[in-house]
Amino acid sequence: MAEEKQNELRVIIRTIDLKKHYVKKGVLTEALRGVDVEIFTGEFISVMGPSGSGKSTFFNMIGALDSPTTGRVFIDEVDVAQMTAEELAFLRCQKIGYIFQTYNLIQYMTALENVTTPMVFGGLMPDESRERGMDLLDLVGLKDRWHHRPIEMSGGQQQRVAIARSLANEPGVLLCDEPTANLDLATGQEILDILRRLNEQKGVTIICATHDHRMMDICDRLMWIRDGRIERIAEREEVHVEVGSIE
Amino acid sequence: MKRIEIADQPRLGFVRVVGVTVDGIRYRLFRAAVTVAVIAVAVAFLMNILSESLIKREVAARTRGDIEARRLVQVWVARLSEPGSLEELLREIAAAVPGGDAYREAAALSGLSGEEMEAMARGCRTAAVYLDFFNSLDYARRRSLVYTAAGTGIFERLRSGPGRQAFLQALNELKSIRFVTSIEDLTAFLERWPDTRRRVKQLREGRRQAIEKVAAAPGGRDLLTALAEGSIGETVRSAGFRFDPGIETEVARQARLILDGRTVEKAVSMPEGRQLVARRRDMLPADVTAAVVWDFLSDAGNARWYRDRLVELDLPGAELSADHLTELAEQWRQGESLVRAEHLTMDMGTGWLGLGRRMSWLLMVSMLVCGIGISNAMLMTVTERFREIATMKCLGALDGFIMVVFVLESCFLGFVGGIFGSILGNLIGLGRMCAAFGARALLSIPFADLSVGTMSAVGVGIALAAIAAVYPALKAARLAPMEAMRIE
Repeated sequence: MAEEKQNELRVIIRTIDLKKHYVKKGVLTEALRGVDVEIFTGEFISVMGPSGSGKSTFFNMIGALDSPTTGRVFIDEVDVAQMTAEELAFLRCQKIGYIFQTYNLIQYMTALENVTTPMVFGGLMPDESRERGMDLLDLVGLKDRWHHRPIEMSGGQQQRVAIARSLANEPGVLLCDEPTANLDLATGQEILDILRRLNEQKGVTIICATHDHRMMDICDRLMWIRDGRIERIAEREEVHVEVGSIE
Repeated sequence: MKRIEIADQPRLGFVRVVGVTVDGIRYRLFRAAVTVAVIAVAVAFLMNILSESLIKREVAARTRGDIEARRLVQVWVARLSEPGSLEELLREIAAAVPGGDAYREAAALSGLSGEEMEAMARGCRTAAVYLDFFNSLDYARRRSLVYTAAGTGIFERLRSGPGRQAFLQALNELKSIRFVTSIEDLTAFLERWPDTRRRVKQLREGRRQAIEKVAAAPGGRDLLTALAEGSIGETVRSAGFRFDPGIETEVARQARLILDGRTVEKAVSMPEGRQLVARRRDMLPADVTAAVVWDFLSDAGNARWYRDRLVELDLPGAELSADHLTELAEQWRQGESLVRAEHLTMDMGTGWLGLGRRMSWLLMVSMLVCGIGISNAMLMTVTERFREIATMKCLGALDGFIMVVFVLESCFLGFVGGIFGSILGNLIGLGRMCAAFGARALLSIPFADLSVGTMSAVGVGIALAAIAAVYPALKAARLAPMEAMRIE
């Protein structure tokens, strides 16, 4: 069954022996020590691991937000290291959506302006981007708050705006770095529902770093990272069996 | 499933970029105001120095012109009583425009042919250059070069063997001195010097004779009175001087004012006249000076009263009208203000923009301080927005876009700050100059120079702000998005 699924799906992100080292005050920190993974289109993957395990670093690598020390990242079989600055900007703008733990909305823009910013960068006309922005805000249930600035909204609402923004140019991949970490249980659940819906209805590949165990229920695969290495990868069904057996 | 196809990110139109920039400034209005204030203060300082110097320079030029015009009578009295020293004549000829009045007058008085006149003018011009050079030296250097010789005596000394030897040796030793011409040119000039000297002496002789002719004329004994009466114009002209009727009228007017002024001051020198003013002013007669009297007479009521008393007591000046007394007082006041302005503007005219060396140095230091202040403000503004820059890069902003946004923003802040600053600087400068020179400053505002100065001050504001923003913006734009976020 798993074999069949892999055959019909394409690999959208592939990493080969990915390593990242930081040198801070003369001390070498090895955040990633050789990661090889393949992620398929339409998948919902959870990446789990304790703090400092290299989750975020891994995320930044596959999202083309940071460059690896050694190793390579292929996005849809294109080597990120070979791309020019313009191509990278296009990739970040059109093909990948980012959701951060700290939302990272631009403070002086309204919700709608935040959502339309990637469209503006993508060269869309104002009228069109406005229309699409409103549709996206509707999708996350914030249509009536479009003119509010981030400081006038709750954490959950801000994260929903961030989700709407990440979807601005209909990306194929959504990278979420602990999207529910700063939210209470109920709002976290709302966010997860939205993500699940996106994955099922639009076929967006979602890669989600999280501590949230509810994520296990909705994702296709789980990936554990520890000390900069992949500890294990498992299908959801397997994990459930395990959890059951432990109980 | 959608394939990921990579293309180049489009560049944004300028209007879009400006829109984003203005939004950013509007949101951070307070922060922007602080930055603008820093720039404004810096530019105001610059503009203040600039505007004060420009106004002062204009006042100085105007003062010199006024003084020259007011001293026309003194100039003519001097010319008609003394032929002048060799050096004075030499400089006069050097400054005379060939074919001009002074030149033609010199030709007529000296009786030199056109060719000889030309040779003399040439010699005088060269001589003036050398004299200027020796005058610019400090005492010690000058002494080591030409010993105690002064004026045209320098040329005589340099022509003598030992004098020339000492000069060349000293010039060789004093490495800091650059002589104005080559030594060959100097030698050539010195060879021609006796001819030049002879011609200038001939001119002096011609002048002396002309002066004698004027003095021998009836009414020529007291020159000032004669000039005031306008009775010797014809004699002066026939003696060979170029004494235009227009100049004659003005000289006569000034001479009359001086004579009338003397009459009034003569009354004050008498005990009766002094007591009049002392009683009115409630002071001791011994303390009444000419200045007190003129101040007293500048009031029309006082002048009328004073004139009536003069008539009563039959003192000198009784023949003058009260209005004329007030006018004389006004003349005296203007003369005093001219003297004061001349004194205050004595240091003008050297260095860049006539600022003087000290002011130029101050201006440079202030530019440096402004630059650092503005750099600091811009550096803070950009670094505190690293997170925003990183976010924008995650959303697909190009490096160029980020650069343009930040440089544009600082240009805008620099422009606003520059405008405020230059207005402030101009106002302060004008105020201070008005306090120092009074109406004289208001009359001589050099609008053209000031507007150029204002524009350049605004330009300096914009340039400093833009340059200061380039480095941090470039640094932020070049970083990978996550690195920028980490720095914060």
